[in-house]
Amino acid sequence: MTDDAKRSDEPKVPRGWTRHPPERMLITPLVAGVGGLIAFFIVVFVVVWLPIHTFDPPASADWAPLTDEAVKGRNLFASNGCYVCHSGYSRPQDVREALYFLYPKVSQPGDFFGSDQTPNLLGTERTGPDLSQESGWHPDDWQLAHFYDPRFMDPLSLMPSMKSLFSDQQVNQLVAYVETRSGKSGLLRYAGTLYAKHIVLANQGFPQPYTGFQGAHKPPLEGNDKILRVPKGQLEEAGNLAQIDRGYWLAGDPLPVTEQNLLRGKEVFNERCVGCHGPDGDGKGPGARFLSPTPADFTDKDDACCGGDTGPGDFYYRILRGWPGTGMENFGDRLSVDDIWRVVLFIKTIPNGGLKEDYVPQPSDYIVWQPTKELLAWTKSRQKLQDNATFSKSDELNDPFVQEALRVMPGLSLGDSFKINDGKTQLSIRDAATGIKTIYDDLLNRAWDDARARDDKLPAEAQKAIPPTVPGQQ
Amino acid sequence: MKGPLMQPPPQLAPFPDRAARHWFLSSIVWLTVVDLFGLVLATEFITPEAFGGISWLSFSRVRPSHVNGVILAWLTMMYFGALFYMLPRLVGTRGMWSERLGVWCAWAWNVMYALGVIGLLTGHSQGREYGEFIWPVDILLLVIWCVNIVNILATVQIRTVRPIYVSVWFFIASPIWLAVDYAIGNVIWDPGKIWSAPSGALTNSLSDAILNWWYAHNLFGLWLTPMLLALTYYIVPRVTNTPLYSYTLSLVSFWGMAFFYTGVGDHHILQSPTPAWLKTIAEVSSWMLLVPVFAFTINILGTMKGNWDKFFTNLPLRFTMTAFFFYFLVNIQGAFEALQPFNRLTHFTNFVVAHAHLALLGAFTILGMGVIDYMVAQVYQRPLFSRNLTEWQYWLVTVGFTGFFSVLTLAGFQQGFSWAQGIPEVNVLPQLHAYYIARGIFGAMIVLSGIVQMVNIGLTMFSNTAERRRRETLKIAEAVAPPVGG
Repeated sequence: MTDDAKRSDEPKVPRGWTRHPPERMLITPLVAGVGGLIAFFIVVFVVVWLPIHTFDPPASADWAPLTDEAVKGRNLFASNGCYVCHSGYSRPQDVREALYFLYPKVSQPGDFFGSDQTPNLLGTERTGPDLSQESGWHPDDWQLAHFYDPRFMDPLSLMPSMKSLFSDQQVNQLVAYVETRSGKSGLLRYAGTLYAKHIVLANQGFPQPYTGFQGAHKPPLEGNDKILRVPKGQLEEAGNLAQIDRGYWLAGDPLPVTEQNLLRGKEVFNERCVGCHGPDGDGKGPGARFLSPTPADFTDKDDACCGGDTGPGDFYYRILRGWPGTGMENFGDRLSVDDIWRVVLFIKTIPNGGLKEDYVPQPSDYIVWQPTKELLAWTKSRQKLQDNATFSKSDELNDPFVQEALRVMPGLSLGDSFKINDGKTQLSIRDAATGIKTIYDDLLNRAWDDARARDDKLPAEAQKAIPPTVPGQQ
Repeated sequence: MKGPLMQPPPQLAPFPDRAARHWFLSSIVWLTVVDLFGLVLATEFITPEAFGGISWLSFSRVRPSHVNGVILAWLTMMYFGALFYMLPRLVGTRGMWSERLGVWCAWAWNVMYALGVIGLLTGHSQGREYGEFIWPVDILLLVIWCVNIVNILATVQIRTVRPIYVSVWFFIASPIWLAVDYAIGNVIWDPGKIWSAPSGALTNSLSDAILNWWYAHNLFGLWLTPMLLALTYYIVPRVTNTPLYSYTLSLVSFWGMAFFYTGVGDHHILQSPTPAWLKTIAEVSSWMLLVPVFAFTINILGTMKGNWDKFFTNLPLRFTMTAFFFYFLVNIQGAFEALQPFNRLTHFTNFVVAHAHLALLGAFTILGMGVIDYMVAQVYQRPLFSRNLTEWQYWLVTVGFTGFFSVLTLAGFQQGFSWAQGIPEVNVLPQLHAYYIARGIFGAMIVLSGIVQMVNIGLTMFSNTAERRRRETLKIAEAVAPPVGG
């Protein structure tokens, strides 16, 4: 070792046991450079070359290719660094331990088949949730509002808003990617959501939602009651009730109406619900402009809050499991059962000023719900044990499309059939299953056609024909 | 006015150090830039809309810029500066084989990182973690890197001291390792769509993930860590003026690093659907790693034996030994983190972020600060402008980092335990808010530390501190004993 400044200093006498290198152990530059590379390549052979050349899992039964639109969305996802917060695979413990709706199944090696799956987007951090199973849980309009400003849809979110990053066209590509990335089970879920959206819009007289970010700059969409023609002898709320498990139709709130319960309900409402339902509870939150149908207005004593189909059990079920086809998410994984019931209690104080700032909602503000005679008659004629899908032994229930139809229309029994409020659309489980299958086939065929045109690596044609599955926790 | 104190001290023929100077000074500036990127990220964790509407300050674009900047702009430039400083002194030449080439490379490297980061901030990224720079930037980086390798090997070739010291082994092997690692890891032979979206990936997604993480870990394993060893092997014996404790142990640390560090990449994706045998190799390698780590640790502690008084008095040594301590800690922590049961709890959480900062901030950055304070003073042949500023720099970064690390580790456990109970990510976010605020404050201390260093080094360059110190000493001497006849 040569020194610059203190060359005159003698090295100190070594303390303790200092070993001196024997001649044969001296490393020459050649040994360091070439020897180092040899060591390096030996390990590279084992941990890089071997796995890459021996590990090529075939496409899983659940695998599906992406459309061109979705591939563009995937490229945007990658080149804008979305993977730094969102992982791209669900782990065994996510499914086993975390009963979280985003993770209905464990990612399989075959799920990552196909050249439209590169670059890898496995990710290392979950500041946000994993997105490998995201397809179909939210409708497109929810996704657009969420991309525009995530706080619109979830006030707790830390995600940056994407309004300055993407054009309308790009954000539609991203939505296409997110909604179709989860393989066949995701496509099935998405098809169910699209079908439910179609039913909900027709049933309530709403136009199709805006696409792109333009929704942010337009007035909220309004429903048109005049075009609705409720079939004779049929309950107006029948279509809505079809999306609520019949066990909840007349369920009452198990919690007493106390100040504490109401206050906690208000807290949760302010924490989670104001993005869509608005700080005044009038359904005019900042996210409402994107959504069709628009979020429920709780300020009306006679309508959404307390009239019609909206008994406590209905509210509870919609918060617990969401309302497929609308922007209403399922909060069952995020809120405790008790908290959901408290929110239900609280909502019924909103017309009497429960949401006023610095005000503790009082039990006297609570509006007691009374079911109409028609509703009682309707429910009475349908609430039979054998109508409950859980108790049915029908083979039809093994069909994934019927299962998906039951997910989005849990209030229908296999025997039910009626026209919804547009006066022409027939609704039954079989109709829904057929509709969902049509949409699913269309989505899958378009993806395969695009992948073929792109000259992607594809599995044998038989893989396409394998029916989708409804994984565990839907 | 004549007397011994009026004469400038005798000068040895100085090393030119032109290349080292350029790499060092660039690295000091980049440190503050990438620190500020980090501070932007920390702010966005507290208030996501802090820079709302500015697309290039969006979290998802700044984070790759921060990560790539820390590794490629700050640490790599600091390391090359140190390398260009140390190599001539260790092999007995009057400078690098070509100082001019080193200077050109420094400028080209600055341009390379600037281009890469502009790409990232405008949404041009390969989308592979740690390999985000687009293909043209990758090529530029590799060209500069290879020129540097030529410069290093040529300098070794013209050496006058035949046996080469431990540090030089790493100087020869490590850049070559990294060049190969970078080329393979970025799939450099497949440019894909060059200007737009993802390029440079294997067509099989899981193979791509295996390659990606093998490459990413080797940025640390085969470049940042070997260079930390090389620098510590130089600074500690040099400052304490003590021979290295054991040559044999340094052999163990060199070859152990080459064999065990290269195969740990898959421990980043332990619960992914990749081959189980590969995960086993990664886990075992992560523990075997402790062999070279302990060899290095014992070697340095042996050299420090009896020299601990200098830990308190010599600032560069204090930086180095603090970094050494964090380096030891990060390896112990990493070995446990690479085990399945532990990984199941901590993966995807802030625990991993804390771990990464323990290596890149606690070990490499604190070492880099000490190395710069030591070597820049030598290069300019004058003491640093202010010891107080250096003390401030040390305590700001040490306290800032320790707090930062503790906060994120706790936050990581909070996330891990919550998720394991089935609590979804979004419900944990409000609980993390306080941690994020604390992290932001500690992060600001770290930014400040880099700025203090920048100021201190700048003032050292632009004011002749040697002359100033000499005058101060003279004044005292004159007060004590006025010059004869004055």
